Amino acid sequence: MILATYNIKGGVGKTSAAVNLATLAAREAPTLIWDLDPQGAATYLFRVRPKVKGGGRKLVRGKTDAERLLKGTDQEGLDLLPADFSYRHMDLALSDAKKPTSRLRSVLAPLTGEYAYTFLDCPPSISLVSESVFEAADALLVPIIPATLSSRTLEQLHAVLAGETPVLGFFSMADRRKKLHRELMDSLRAEHDLLETVIPTSAEVERMGAHRAPLHDFAPRSRAARAYADLWEEVRARVT
Amino acid sequence: MEFLLPEGAGHDSARHALEEHLSLRPGRIRRGTTVFYDTFDGRVHGAGLILRHENGALELLDSATGETVASVPAETPKRMFAADLPDPIRKRLAKAIEMRALTPVAKVRSHTQELAVLNEDEKTVARLAVSTHDGLHGRVTARALRGYDDELERVGALLRDTLGWAPATVPLVDEAIAAGGGDPAGTSSKLDLQLDPEMPATEAARIVFARLLEVIDANLPDTIRDVDTEFLHDLRVAVRRTRSLQRQFKSVYPARLQHFRDEFKRLQRETGELRDLDVYLLDFPALKASLPERMRDDLEPLRAVLERHRGRALRATRRALQDPRTGDALADWDAFTRDAPTSEVTVGELASERIAKVYRRMVKMGRAIDDDSPAQDLHELRKVGKELRYLLEFFASLYPAEVVKPFIKTLKGLQDQLGRFQDREVQANKLRELAPEVADPPALMAMGVLVDRFIAEEAAARAEFADRFGAFASKAQRAVVKEHFG
Repeated sequence: MILATYNIKGGVGKTSAAVNLATLAAREAPTLIWDLDPQGAATYLFRVRPKVKGGGRKLVRGKTDAERLLKGTDQEGLDLLPADFSYRHMDLALSDAKKPTSRLRSVLAPLTGEYAYTFLDCPPSISLVSESVFEAADALLVPIIPATLSSRTLEQLHAVLAGETPVLGFFSMADRRKKLHRELMDSLRAEHDLLETVIPTSAEVERMGAHRAPLHDFAPRSRAARAYADLWEEVRARVT
Repeated sequence: MEFLLPEGAGHDSARHALEEHLSLRPGRIRRGTTVFYDTFDGRVHGAGLILRHENGALELLDSATGETVASVPAETPKRMFAADLPDPIRKRLAKAIEMRALTPVAKVRSHTQELAVLNEDEKTVARLAVSTHDGLHGRVTARALRGYDDELERVGALLRDTLGWAPATVPLVDEAIAAGGGDPAGTSSKLDLQLDPEMPATEAARIVFARLLEVIDANLPDTIRDVDTEFLHDLRVAVRRTRSLQRQFKSVYPARLQHFRDEFKRLQRETGELRDLDVYLLDFPALKASLPERMRDDLEPLRAVLERHRGRALRATRRALQDPRTGDALADWDAFTRDAPTSEVTVGELASERIAKVYRRMVKMGRAIDDDSPAQDLHELRKVGKELRYLLEFFASLYPAEVVKPFIKTLKGLQDQLGRFQDREVQANKLRELAPEVADPPALMAMGVLVDRFIAEEAAARAEFADRFGAFASKAQRAVVKEHFG
């Protein structure tokens, strides 16, 4: 089961979702997370050096054995395929390849037998990389901030995907105390099929960077941690 | 990789020693009980695996690497057959354990603490688990994280070279079984005897008889407890082997031998019905599968009848084995073989004479068999073949392996064919005998299909006889027997 956290926009809680959900998934079954974002935020959170031997180009073109690049994390059962700064040129590497959009699926193919869940943490943008992610993923997990433009983002995404990959949207960085957030969430729910769980804005989520650890490691009982646990339950029920 | 803690070392002293060299994040000390399972004859051990129940899961491990092959949440059962095992474990074990039961062979109480080995970023790069066990060595296992193999090497070198802890050469289960006085490889019913041709025949026979009594004693309690079918089977094979050697060596024993021959004959007879039914029930799934698909479930009423008969046969066998007369006979027999007057004849002379004689008798009997001979002639030949087989096995160490091994192989080829022939006849007869008890017409029809097949296979086995016997009685084989056995 390959799940990608994706949004065209950045800074919406993609990496937090990928890291926390992968941590929860790993408690059930072997899980892999691939940090595709050249900024390497997920890699940083797991305290792994953002370095891929041979770089992203060789990897996506099938010249590097992905298995040899894997790093075990502090979470039992969760392995990481780290980010590399060279991933910023992944688009170019893909455009030179044959059948570019199927490359990521091919890289993962030898590993899928070993992992029950694979999470892809994707860079924001619409590009060959994201198209390749859409083709590889069984479902997209799309964090949506309660903002006026979010409806447009979702429509764009549905237009690109044309219904081929299920889109599981959920509210992220939401503040129920704000009237505007509540109104926007209500109106977005009226237009789109979105998950029930709402991930709140939270100081704990922000502190993940300081702790360099998933939320459940240092604030397991926080509201945000409980929200991710609910989200995982909901996602799992939808995809399995 | 796994290391033994120094004698007397506990969690604190182990952790302090490690902390001098490594940055560690200790976890809580957890208490747990591990139950290890194997068959009586150590088949899990023999397959290079370890089966254990720990932390609410049944786990299969590779004993050489310590890696987990499969882990499935499960209860702690007292006894498991292949069919009771969870899928991933059954896949790896079913072939090895066949019809044998898995029962607890060791139980170990442990206190375990996980220690994460951290690098300068405080990231875990290896995992250590320090565990202490009541009455056994404490151990440290070191596990790599994916992509950090170099770190594991470094930690391993530290434990071995700097701290001087000994690498564990024996898995915990083996240490626990040995500490309890058992053999980790299980209890074998094989003979594996070393004899000297110059020994008096009675002295050599005493060694064989003693080993066979050992097998009988080892298998008796769990035959009575009905743990699995092979206890009775191995017990009966030992009884049959004993009877065979009694017959072959009767010339060197006083007349009282007859009393023991009668007692062993009685044991054989009183356990026979149970074994026949065991064989039938063990074969049942295969018999069922051999039927056309839509008839398979029709056969179930037969299973119920077989099981009812088996219940009765088990009670009879238990009565016979628990009868003081049986215990007395075995004890007296032990004393009788020990106290027997030493024979003039050496085992080399007597064994060679018997092997040559039984072989020639078989050749004569076999030559007299043609297509019109009654089935009984083939059964008789098979019986004598068993005698020869046992003689060759008892006294294998007296002759060159390159003579005995091919001889046994040729004999086995013939015996298997004769066995198939007889088994099919017995199976067909048994079904006829049970038919009146099976009231269900579809079941009777399914049994009819089986009888038909048994008869066809009986005929096919018989057709092979001439070829198999030809190899056994060939000029070359006769020359070998003449040269080595006289």
